[in-house]
Amino acid sequence: MGHNDVAYFGIRHHGPGSADSLVQALQDLQPGAVLIEGPIDASALLPLLARPEMQPPVALLCYREEDPASTSFWPFAEFSPEYQAVLWAVDNKAALRFIDLPSPARFSEAAVEGAEKVDADEAKESSERDDVAPHRRDPIGTLARAAGYEDGESWWSDIIEQNPEPGPIFAAISDAMMTLRDGEGSIAEFEAQREAHMRLEIAAARKEFDGPIAVVCGAWHVPALQATHPQKNDQALLKGIARRKSTMTWAPWTGPRLALGYGYGAGVVAPGWCKHLWRTRGRRDAATLWLAMIAAVLRVKGHLVSTASLIEAERLARTLAAIRERPKPGFEELRDAAIAALFNGEALLWALVEAELLLGADVGEIPPDTPLAPLIEDLQRNQKAARLKPEALERELSVDLRSDSGLFRSTLLHRLNVLGVHWGKLTDAGRSRGTFRERWTLAWEPEYAVRLVENLIYGPTIEKAANGRLIQMIEAAATLDTLAVLVQGAITAGLSEASTAGLGALEARAARSSECLEILASMPPLADIIRYGEARKTETNRLSGLMERLIVEGAIALPYAARDLDEQAAATLASAMRKADEAIRLVEPGEDVLNGWRNGLAAVLEGSRATALLAGCAAHLLYEAGRLSAEAAARLLGRRLSPGTPVAEAAGFFEGFFSTAGQRLIYDEGLRGAVDSWLKSLDEDAFIAHLPLLRRVFSNLDSMERRRLIEAVLGRAARLPAGLTPTPDGGEAWRRHLERLGPLLTGGNGNG
Amino acid sequence: MNAAIRLPVEQAYASELQALARGDDRQKPAGWSLSPQAVLTYLLGGKAGDGTPVTPKYVGRRRLMETAVATLATDRALLLLGVPGTAKSWVSEHLAAAIMGDSTLIVQCTAGTDENQIRYGWNYAQLLAKGPSQEALVPTPLYRAMQTGKLCRLEELTRMGSDVQDTLITVLSEKMMPIPEFNTSIYAQRGFNIIATANNRDKGVNELSSALKRRFNVVVLPLPEDMAEEVAIVSKRVDEMAGGLDLPVPKNVGEEIARVLTIFRELRAGATADGKVTLKTPSGSLSTAEAIATMVGGLSQAAWFDSGKLGAEGLAASLVGAIVKDPVQDKAVLEEYLETVLKKRPDYAGYYAALNAAI
Repeated sequence: MGHNDVAYFGIRHHGPGSADSLVQALQDLQPGAVLIEGPIDASALLPLLARPEMQPPVALLCYREEDPASTSFWPFAEFSPEYQAVLWAVDNKAALRFIDLPSPARFSEAAVEGAEKVDADEAKESSERDDVAPHRRDPIGTLARAAGYEDGESWWSDIIEQNPEPGPIFAAISDAMMTLRDGEGSIAEFEAQREAHMRLEIAAARKEFDGPIAVVCGAWHVPALQATHPQKNDQALLKGIARRKSTMTWAPWTGPRLALGYGYGAGVVAPGWCKHLWRTRGRRDAATLWLAMIAAVLRVKGHLVSTASLIEAERLARTLAAIRERPKPGFEELRDAAIAALFNGEALLWALVEAELLLGADVGEIPPDTPLAPLIEDLQRNQKAARLKPEALERELSVDLRSDSGLFRSTLLHRLNVLGVHWGKLTDAGRSRGTFRERWTLAWEPEYAVRLVENLIYGPTIEKAANGRLIQMIEAAATLDTLAVLVQGAITAGLSEASTAGLGALEARAARSSECLEILASMPPLADIIRYGEARKTETNRLSGLMERLIVEGAIALPYAARDLDEQAAATLASAMRKADEAIRLVEPGEDVLNGWRNGLAAVLEGSRATALLAGCAAHLLYEAGRLSAEAAARLLGRRLSPGTPVAEAAGFFEGFFSTAGQRLIYDEGLRGAVDSWLKSLDEDAFIAHLPLLRRVFSNLDSMERRRLIEAVLGRAARLPAGLTPTPDGGEAWRRHLERLGPLLTGGNGNG
Repeated sequence: MNAAIRLPVEQAYASELQALARGDDRQKPAGWSLSPQAVLTYLLGGKAGDGTPVTPKYVGRRRLMETAVATLATDRALLLLGVPGTAKSWVSEHLAAAIMGDSTLIVQCTAGTDENQIRYGWNYAQLLAKGPSQEALVPTPLYRAMQTGKLCRLEELTRMGSDVQDTLITVLSEKMMPIPEFNTSIYAQRGFNIIATANNRDKGVNELSSALKRRFNVVVLPLPEDMAEEVAIVSKRVDEMAGGLDLPVPKNVGEEIARVLTIFRELRAGATADGKVTLKTPSGSLSTAEAIATMVGGLSQAAWFDSGKLGAEGLAASLVGAIVKDPVQDKAVLEEYLETVLKKRPDYAGYYAALNAAI
């Protein structure tokens, strides 16, 4: 039995080079049917791909209705050979179908080996599994590396450069695969089943269709599909494969997620680079355009890149290619040349633009009438499990975090909030910590469904999408305190992947940050997680370590940060310092860490250049912590407020000390004495200048406390000096004022 | 018998260069004595066409050397950048030797280098006697390299003043040097090019103007990536230098080198060796050369003052000196490193205490 009417195109998944060759080959062959490696039960969905509203990257999603977490993905990019084959087939009215095992077979296999893959990335490659040997996952990349190339696409295009006919290329690839697979032992059962299934489908198609048939599959499979196997054996192999029905749909995809299954960078598929290759196929200036793209990214980042440098970079790339004996500059040559000519030799700068260039920021689109969105289904399932109904009218919900069902509900609502679906709003946010209760207001808006579909790019279930979205936010977070808040959010929403990523980011950022304010501001949310984490069953060891490290760092940075600040900056830092101190007391760190923090405060207090407000604040915190005895504090106040100190500085210190400690004066005689003598020492002008400050400091005392303070100062049966009534008769005074003002305003004889 | 302490490398490695030239049938750029591929073999080691073994001159990433050679082949100038002790001058010398067979056209740039040492100078006796004339003109290495189509090496380019640096702009972009006194110019012959080296971390250097920088392709030579490699380099140099200074080398020097280098490498890399903790990096370069100086300082201290005992106490002062270049910023970096990393390592207890005392 000959195979002369079946053409096998062994492609590289997501390889723009093979996509280009494939389209040409199809054009030459004009097949009546195009068979593509992919789940056969999704064949009906294939023509949708060619719809104009469908903008790749998109992915085919198959999942079991009852368990969307088991979703399998088959992503398609503009440059995927499979996608181009579909477009060609639809344009040329050729029959089109998938020929791989039906999608449920993949779920059952995932279930068998699922144990260790629970947390593994959900992005499965279209045809091969993550855990297979690299030469099977990407045989063409392997050949390229053997030839000394880091990038498989550059190798492919060099080979094509030397073999301009597309037909012989696929023959050559098939030969190479034959050699690679030659002498391989028995392959895994699942792989054997897949290949058997594909063979049977090809045979069936030969009977069904007239004209040549094109088979588009991963290069690795070509030899096995070409080999002759008795159909009986193949059918025997396929006995008992799962035939359950699965739900299928298209979902929008993103550039970065395309690269997810691989990791990007040298030697693997980098969507940005592939897209560039695809868009510039057949053009002679592809290298120049790529360099121009690099320059554009650099310019956006504020680096100066001249056109002349681009010319030099291109010349260097060509010479490098010549030295490496390659027909034209590929990925590596362009990168090395860019580093030498555009980046001043700094490889680090390349790392900065690499992600942007290689991953790209593409987001796919799907036609609005695409059936079913798995996130909505997942939500419905979760709503059922949580016994919550989406209702447009507002409704109060109180949740007890100690019960499993309460925790489940809270987690669901928090996760939806991460996704921008504010079905539930926490009404007592901020006050809720330390309690086991959360109060929510529930109200469902129709637009939430749309928003859920938009979130599909982050994952197929609410948990995964929330994880994905939060991880993206974590990657974009610029400061330590925003990161800390995000991690807090991740832990509250029970998103373990995001919190792991967040903690990692937090640790890295904490090490690099020397911005004291940022460090201090990150402590309160962390302390909250550590202190009240039990309610959420979180593992807090790692966090405690991080917190201690932040405390040490903050203590070291504080004395420098407290120097020579203006009023506004000082006030901000003082408030952060107080909150951080509160957070530190909350987490009860080790004795030496606590001492480290107090030493930092002491250094602020003693530092000659420390801003007075902060010195006062530090003194107060030390006094509260018992590091400063009452006598020492009184002595300190006496000294800092003594007439020799510039009045503005004394006032700053005073405010720093007392702005949250007014009550202290009621009970603490030593302190009161010190303050009293300072106030008495002020001359009239200075006293008046400081009145607003004094008022501000004492404003947080209520009237009762004020009264007691007055009593404490003036004795128990306190009488204010005559004429100074704390609550003068306002009405009477106003009447007198008006009496005098009236004539003045009406121009009467005011001054005679 | 030649009594020179060190011969130029084209003489020291003459046999390798000859062997490479014999077996070299690839295309050569104008004026080159070897093809670019043969130059790479000479630098990175391998076998000449006739099977003669070629020793590696540079141990490190191949693609850096490829970029360097390709740059020179495009007639664009090459700037080798890196912290001290990363083999910049070594590579520059070998490149010139392999490409031109001559590494001796060299200008050592310093703060005192003026235009006369870059362009051309005058023999004042001749100048007074004959006026501006060819006999009165004193050519510089750059001038001669342009005339004869050779490679000129500029060492420590950033050490000379910016105004002097900028005299290179015309030479690099137009490959000519005007001599207004004669109302003529000299035009560079094919093969002429410049290899400059510069230090990118030092203070007190004159940053290249962007106009000049743009005319160079830059290759940054990194510090050794591998701890074992670096320990070997430091041990060898410390032994050599201690021998030269007649310092006894105590037995534990190997362990102390490993500890000091760990501290250096961790601070330099901004992460602990196990990669678990990220660190801030100090402003200094903490190069291999500084590790060597720190060790030699410690040995000297041990020999003269600590009755031959080498330990953390003796090394602490030089360590702090190497790490804390900026009294405020670097001190905080070191304090943080001590508190978050060294404190938790029992075998570094001595360093923790000594460094804390020395800060």
